[in-house]
Amino acid sequence: MSPEIQSPHWAWYYIALYFFVAGTSAGAYFIGSMEELFGGEKQREISRSAYYIAFPLLLLVPIPLIADLGRPERFWQLFFYVKGGYPYINLQSPMSVGSWVLMIFSGFALLSFLDNLVAEKRLRFAPFAHLYNPIPRKLYALFGTVAGLFIAGYTGVLLNVTAQPFWAATAPLMGPLFIVSGASTGAAAISLFMIWRKRASEYAFEKLESFDRVVMVMELALIAVMLVCAGSTAQPLLTLPFLVMFWGGAVVLGIILPLWFKLKSHNDRYGTDQVIWSYLCVLAGGLLLRISLLQAGQM
Amino acid sequence: MAKGMFVDTTICIGCKACQVACKEWNGLPAEPSHFRKTSGMPYPVANNFTGDSYDNTGSLSATDWRHVRFIEQFDEQRSQRRWLFDSDSCKHCTDAGCLNACPTKAIIHTDMGNVIVQQDTCIGCKFCIPSCPYGVISFSEKTGTVHKCTLCNDRIHNGMGTACAKACPTDSIRFGDVEDLKARADARLVQLRSKGESRANIYGYTEAEGLNVFYLFVDHPLVYGQAENPVVPQRRLILSSIVTMLVALGIGVAALVKFRERLTGKPEEESHES
Repeated sequence: MSPEIQSPHWAWYYIALYFFVAGTSAGAYFIGSMEELFGGEKQREISRSAYYIAFPLLLLVPIPLIADLGRPERFWQLFFYVKGGYPYINLQSPMSVGSWVLMIFSGFALLSFLDNLVAEKRLRFAPFAHLYNPIPRKLYALFGTVAGLFIAGYTGVLLNVTAQPFWAATAPLMGPLFIVSGASTGAAAISLFMIWRKRASEYAFEKLESFDRVVMVMELALIAVMLVCAGSTAQPLLTLPFLVMFWGGAVVLGIILPLWFKLKSHNDRYGTDQVIWSYLCVLAGGLLLRISLLQAGQM
Repeated sequence: MAKGMFVDTTICIGCKACQVACKEWNGLPAEPSHFRKTSGMPYPVANNFTGDSYDNTGSLSATDWRHVRFIEQFDEQRSQRRWLFDSDSCKHCTDAGCLNACPTKAIIHTDMGNVIVQQDTCIGCKFCIPSCPYGVISFSEKTGTVHKCTLCNDRIHNGMGTACAKACPTDSIRFGDVEDLKARADARLVQLRSKGESRANIYGYTEAEGLNVFYLFVDHPLVYGQAENPVVPQRRLILSSIVTMLVALGIGVAALVKFRERLTGKPEEESHES
């Protein structure tokens, strides 16, 4: 008789979707701010697109998170301990710290989003435009990136600090994997947005592509090491439906195929159907990766 | 003074009076039965009752805060046999995984060292459930919150022992000060070992930083359905965080190398037109 760790029965359509959306938003913000901090005008479209994506995606985030609660109307108690009457944070609980950082990150993402609107003269709100110049936007790009990386990674750490055998055995690699995957899906989302906006230079696409190639190789390496660490606890990944979802979806469709395509069609024009499909594959793979790793631990 | 329980499984007779007393005192309803059609059966069967053992619930749950396990052991020739029982509940850990995981301070230690869920503070995030190394705490669809043994918080704060200990006809479950109970457990361990029960061991002294509810077993903890080397899962937090931060740093460097233009000697350009 083996000990039975109970499953939280987190619904994949809420929690894995949240992991994916928040990871993509954070990944996109990270790429955008790194480009803003260190890049030049020729690739500025990357950070513009990134900021346009990051905040609207975050608007979706509270919906699945609150919907999965047993008492959704009490969600605000994540921030406030009613019995004591004071704001509350539990530094040992990634969920508690994550909730706070999610708020902070959303604030930075909103600032960058508004910043974009003003920079592109889409927002002509006079008081804001007046305040616009003195705002140290580089500074909040930096803090926003740190908060964003936290959001991309803490969901993995959250799984790693449970007693579920698969999640426990993959410690400490789930956080890194989710960050890397978030960067990859973030890059794909930015690329799709840039194709849709039709403003980006080939140069910007190339920069993003060369970053994404590095990220995808890192992601493959992390998955390999994680599976070795997981050992026999990764057994569910060898059964249906994970055989299709994890190996077929997350690994082959989401990483290997797009990576192969990127290396093969180095000089292809951006914006062709094939290129768009490869980005959609990356996004689908990122979602399937999170569904697989979440559900495999809840079997 | 920390209160706790000592469960001497060697004198348990498997009567389940503790299960009944627990349900009665705490007003816990019967396990909701999930009737389902099964192949080969003409009528729906309640699949959450074991039906193949005296063990009637199979596990702890939101409405079963105590669970008596029945373990039948035979040797290879099936000539020797023994029947082990384990009346299981929340261990009221001194360093509780569920409490550490709780983002709303719904799970707390009281002054008597027992771990309780404040029902009006729990938001039903379910993070405590996989954070318990013993599979104790459970979610109730009915209340939208988690439930588990409270060590009869209301009783013990009014000078009484736990309902299960009170009902136990053989004193297999004893309630009291943890230090006194440990002395009793040690004495019983010596007694059993001197009678040749070499595999007798106490489960809960060192496991996961010490448990306020501990057990005397005469076999491996796994036989009793208990985790072999339970760890407080938050022990992995620091390493996980550091490795995640290092990879974040790594990917930051990758981005810096790929996107940099300012550090390569090219003239700096204004990033925003204002």
